[in-house]
Amino acid sequence: MTAMTSVPSPRFRINRHRRLAWLGSGLACGLSLLGLALCWLNPAIHAPLRPGLDFTGGTQVQVERDCAPCKPVTPVEVREGLSRLTLPSPEGERAPSLGSASVQVLDSGRSLLLRLPALDADQSTALIDDLGERFGPLRSSGTSVNTIGPTLGSRLLRGSLISLLVSFVAISVYISFSYSGIFAVLALLCLAHDVLITCGLFAWLGLLQGIEVDSLFAVSLITIAGYSVNDTVVVYDRIREQRRNLADLPMVDQVDVAVDATLTRSLYTSFTTLLPLVALIFFGGSTLFWFAVALTVGIAVGSWSSIGLAPTLLPVFSKR
Amino acid sequence: MGRQQGWFALILALTIASGALLANYGLQLGLDLRGGSQLTLQVMPAGAITRVDTEQLEAVKDVLERRINGLGVAESTLQAVGSDQLVLQLPGEQDPSQAARVLGSTALLEFRAQKPGTEQEMQGLLGLKRQAESVLRSKRPPSALDDPTATPPPPPASLSAEDLAKALTSLGIKVPAGASEVDQLELLLRETNRRILALYGPPLITGKDLTSAGRQQQATGTGWEVTLGFNREGGEKFAALTQSIAGTSRVLGIVLDGRSISEASVGEQFKVAGITGGSASITGNFSAEEARDLEVQLRGGSLPLPVKIVEVRTVGPSLGAENIRSSLVAGLSGLALVAVFMAVVYRLPGMVAVVALSLYAVFNLAIYALIPVTLTLPGIAGFILSMGMAVDANVLIFERIKEELRAGNTLIRSIDTGFSLALSSIIDGHVTGLISCAALFFLGTGLVKGFAVTLAIGLLLSLFTALTCTRTLLRLLMSYPGLRRPTYFLPARQLPPVRSGAASAGAA
Repeated sequence: MTAMTSVPSPRFRINRHRRLAWLGSGLACGLSLLGLALCWLNPAIHAPLRPGLDFTGGTQVQVERDCAPCKPVTPVEVREGLSRLTLPSPEGERAPSLGSASVQVLDSGRSLLLRLPALDADQSTALIDDLGERFGPLRSSGTSVNTIGPTLGSRLLRGSLISLLVSFVAISVYISFSYSGIFAVLALLCLAHDVLITCGLFAWLGLLQGIEVDSLFAVSLITIAGYSVNDTVVVYDRIREQRRNLADLPMVDQVDVAVDATLTRSLYTSFTTLLPLVALIFFGGSTLFWFAVALTVGIAVGSWSSIGLAPTLLPVFSKR
Repeated sequence: MGRQQGWFALILALTIASGALLANYGLQLGLDLRGGSQLTLQVMPAGAITRVDTEQLEAVKDVLERRINGLGVAESTLQAVGSDQLVLQLPGEQDPSQAARVLGSTALLEFRAQKPGTEQEMQGLLGLKRQAESVLRSKRPPSALDDPTATPPPPPASLSAEDLAKALTSLGIKVPAGASEVDQLELLLRETNRRILALYGPPLITGKDLTSAGRQQQATGTGWEVTLGFNREGGEKFAALTQSIAGTSRVLGIVLDGRSISEASVGEQFKVAGITGGSASITGNFSAEEARDLEVQLRGGSLPLPVKIVEVRTVGPSLGAENIRSSLVAGLSGLALVAVFMAVVYRLPGMVAVVALSLYAVFNLAIYALIPVTLTLPGIAGFILSMGMAVDANVLIFERIKEELRAGNTLIRSIDTGFSLALSSIIDGHVTGLISCAALFFLGTGLVKGFAVTLAIGLLLSLFTALTCTRTLLRLLMSYPGLRRPTYFLPARQLPPVRSGAASAGAA
């Protein structure tokens, strides 16, 4: 269809900078792995990422005090009362002890966030009544109780991992057919790179800031994976086209032309996808904040890997 | 041109249909967006059943549905999830703990007669049980759920530490070191209950024989009682049962979920015919709340399999409202910026894309209302991602059109070539996306499924809007000669110098 006869000279040749690109990605991956390892070695976490309630199981109670200004409260005060509290327990079972509870005071004393062993409905009601007596009055509309069985988190994790792996396999089969095996391998490598760096960032955030990952984080990883493949495939499509149009040139040049031609598109697309996400970070609710952060980082990294990583590795692996 | 107009008519019809759909049905918001609580109940295998199948799950669901209706909570939904779980959603400010109490127990009610020759043992056990119960009751903090109008229970019969220790050893209970008084009392209660059950004969009447249940304040004392109505067969059995123990000091035991909740003796006067009339009442010294819970449970029937509440999630409605408002504001302002960006960078086709993408959003929402899809936070994430891909498809097309224009092609030809060249990359991107959606939908759980559904809908629609809506609208505009200017597509300095042959070549 196109009537391009002259060899185009790309303004930007990605392969001239490929060592720098590899170095950057390598460093980021190394740092991420280090973060994950440090998290794992940390006795308080003992997992690659600091797991939230969704994965550990237990009960999380958040109450909002109806007062302005509020009398200041310290976590120690809250915990002291908890250890004295006797909870009702169903026949044949002992009420869990609340000594191990973790307490956070948020919004300059206006709301309390408690992480406890799993409580049943009566027990959490008794607990909230007790908190209301000591720190009340509480706003009933600001109260939230979440109880998660530990098996649910692992079920969710296993379900998402299995479905991710199956979709990886299916996608690589598709790419192998419409491109070639090496394209599929590199697309998956890019995807792993994007997911790894996002996880690495949250490992560091978990270590330094105590940020926990929840099930929304798992969803964001899946989103990033989907975006990463889409972004890479568009660049691949151009490379495939250039291999037909510029069959005489070495692959490095074909790739350079293709990346240059899709560069504007890649940047614009990332930019337009990031706009709503950045808006969510700055104006969205607190529940969506870390979700939006994970997506923003993942999509930025995904865009980078589809420009700087997959196309530059392609000539290296296709040589043989 | 006829074909374009056909497409245009289709798009117009779809837009009107979507608007009507949205106006009539509205969107279903998940609990994380509107506030409420969600209980996950796990059905446990019991007895001969080692694996819960769909049929049993349905049977449990039926009973639970009747109980939920009895509770009178508004707009609740109960759904089966997987092969052995049920999820109950209670929107708004409804107390999940009551639902948890009422739904969580099996509510297997049995009427049993005491075996002959065990009178003395039973009396001792009942005495101990009464004492332990009243001491325990006084130890518990008064719950807010108790009826505030009810008079407080009478002061407990004292049970000194010495008596308690004696009672425990007499029943052969070893008290673990460091057990509190409450723990010891509970141990005592459990053991007396176990021994009382052993003195009963087999269950003669069960909850299946009931036709109705109600509650009323006790005529004497402070508590509430639960009234029962038997069916004909149940009434006959009840008469026979009461006749058999009338006038003896043996008791009629009412057992709920393996716990003896009431022990009644039957008076001499029923020796002839038993208690007839097909009704009875349980005076278990219930609080108003307990009586109501039991009434609802008995009306709904007992569960064929026990359930366990494995998850309770509550989001205060204000939290949900704040979430949805701020997410909406953020999302819309982000999209407004995207629209401005598209119009500035791509000029005329950019504006066309903004229209096409607005239609895209409307179609998406209409499908959510139609299926219906319950919108949750992960669902919104799926929508954002598909929106990103829809914008991407337009960007891909317009970049191609620009390239063709820069290469010196005519406008109409550049548009056609732009669409056809961008097609393969758009399809590849969307197909890979749909592949992962399929995997996530069929293998993922709850949250992930919601994400996969909205993403898949978004991807399919995005293919439609990019390839039809944008194209049709652009072609329609190009039928007006005044709009057929390359400078409406890209800055003049990027255009090659006009050659005389180019214009005529494009017309062919």
